Amino acid sequence: MENNIILKKVSKEYKDFKLNDISFNVPKGSVVGLIGENGVGKTTTIKAILNIISSQGTIIVLGKDNKKYEQEIKQEIGVVLDDSFLSDYIDIKKIDSIMKDFYKNWDSKKYFNYIKKFKLPKDKMINDFSTGMKMKLKIITAISHNPKILILDEPTSGLDPVVRNEILDIFREFIAEDEERSILMSTHITSDLEHISDYIVFIDNGHIIFNLPTEELLENYGIVKCKKEEFEKIKKEDYIKYKKEKYQYEILVNDRFKFKKIYPINTIDRASIEDIMLFYIKGENK
Amino acid sequence: MNNIKGLIKKDLYNLSSYKMTVLVLVAFIALFGSFSEDSIQFIPIAISAAIGMIMLSTFNYDESSKSEHYILSLPTNKREVIKSKYILIILGNIIGSIIGVIITILAAYIVAFIKKSGIPQIDYGLIFTYALGGFFGVSLIEAIQIPSIYKWGAEKGRIQMFILIFILVMLIMGIVYIAGNITFNIDLAFLENLFGKYGVLLEVLMICLMYFISYKVSNKIYKNKE
Repeated sequence: MENNIILKKVSKEYKDFKLNDISFNVPKGSVVGLIGENGVGKTTTIKAILNIISSQGTIIVLGKDNKKYEQEIKQEIGVVLDDSFLSDYIDIKKIDSIMKDFYKNWDSKKYFNYIKKFKLPKDKMINDFSTGMKMKLKIITAISHNPKILILDEPTSGLDPVVRNEILDIFREFIAEDEERSILMSTHITSDLEHISDYIVFIDNGHIIFNLPTEELLENYGIVKCKKEEFEKIKKEDYIKYKKEKYQYEILVNDRFKFKKIYPINTIDRASIEDIMLFYIKGENK
Repeated sequence: MNNIKGLIKKDLYNLSSYKMTVLVLVAFIALFGSFSEDSIQFIPIAISAAIGMIMLSTFNYDESSKSEHYILSLPTNKREVIKSKYILIILGNIIGSIIGVIITILAAYIVAFIKKSGIPQIDYGLIFTYALGGFFGVSLIEAIQIPSIYKWGAEKGRIQMFILIFILVMLIMGIVYIAGNITFNIDLAFLENLFGKYGVLLEVLMICLMYFISYKVSNKIYKNKE
C-alpha cells in the first residue's frame, strides 16, 4: 500500500508540551482521523506536516521531504485550519483572484460551481458569513486546485448536524473522484469519523495511543458491563481500561468476541470511537 | 514571484476598505496645509506619513483574521511573506510621496487662485526635499516597526510605535535645542556643501540601508517564530 504522508518519529518540544516520536502513515485513497482531546498535539502534528512549525524526525509527503520540497508539496495539498483563513475583510471573488496566483492548478470554474452549489454570497465580506458558511468556503477553497491531499484541522467543530453532514459529503465526493487522494482530518467530534474514516490515530499527551483501522475499532472493541464480583474475576490482560460506575463496572475490551468466549458475561455493547477515547483518557487500570 | 503577487494582492484587498479614509485624509491634509504658504510645504510629509501608517495596518488585518498560519499553509514560505510586506510598504511610501508632491503643487495653485495672486512661485526643490524628508521619517519608523511587529505582534507593536514616535520627536527637539544653544567647532560651510551636493543621494542610501537591515532582522525573527 502506498502512502501519501509518512511520519517517522516526529517530535516537537514546547515549554509545557512535547509531541513525542509520532509515527503514522496516510495511505492513498484513505481518510485518516486524528483524534484526541484539545491540546494533545493534533494541530501541532498538522503544522509540522505543513512545515508551519519546525520539528524533529522525518515527514515525507507524496514521496518528498516536506522541508526540502515545501512549495512543490504544498501545490498538491489543500488545507483547512479551524481558526485561520485568508482574511475576514475580503469576498469570494477576491479569494479566487488571490488563489490563482498561488496555485498552478487553481480551477476558478470549479470554485464558482461549488460557491453556487452551496449558495454562498459572492458580494459579502467573509466577516458577515455564518460559521457554517465560513467553513464551507474554507473547504471549497482547499479543494479548488484539485489537490492530492486534504489536511483538515477540526473542519466540523461548532457546526450544526445538517452543515456537518453537507461537509462530510464534500469529503466523500473528494475521495470518490480520485483514488490516489487522501484526507488527514483532526477532530474531537469522533462521530464524524465513524462515517468517513478508514483509520483512526489516537493521540494523547503528545503520544500515539493507537493507530487502527476504523472498521476494526468499531467491530471488535466493546464495553462490558458487569458486577463487582464478575469484574474481580477478569484478568488484567483481558481488558484495556475500566470505569467504576454507581451500580456496575464498565470495561473496555479490544476483542469483544474473544472476551465473550472466555467470560460468561452477557452485556457487551459495541464501543463508539468516543467511548474508546473516553475510556483511554478517563478509565483506570487495575 | 506569483506567490509574492498573491500576498501583495491579499494585503491590497484588505486595504481597499480604506479607500474613503485615504481620500478624506488626503483632502483634510491638503485643506489644512493650504491655510498658509508656509504650511503647504508640510503636505508631502503629512500625506506620506499617513499612507505609510495605513500600509502598516496590513499587519493588523493579518492578526485580527489570524491568517498567519493559513498563509504559511499555501505554497509560499516565511521569506516570501516578509518580502511581500516590504515591497508593499516601500511601494506605498513611494506612491504616498508622489501623491504628497502632486497635492502640494495643486494646493499651491488653488491658494493662488483663491487669493487671485497669479501663477504661484513654487519652490519645487523645497517640495522635493520635504517629500524626501517625509519619506525618510516614515521609512525610519517602519524600519524599526516591522521587525517589532514580527516579534511582538501588531497590537503591542502599535503601542510601541507611539513610544517610538515620542522618542524620535524628543530626540529631534533635543538636537535642535543643543544646536541652537551650543557653539560647535564645525565647518558648517563644508557640511552645507556636502549636503547640498550629495544630500539626496545620502538620504536615499540611508533609506535603503535602513530597510535592508530591517528586512534582515525581520527575516531572522520570523524564521524562528512559531
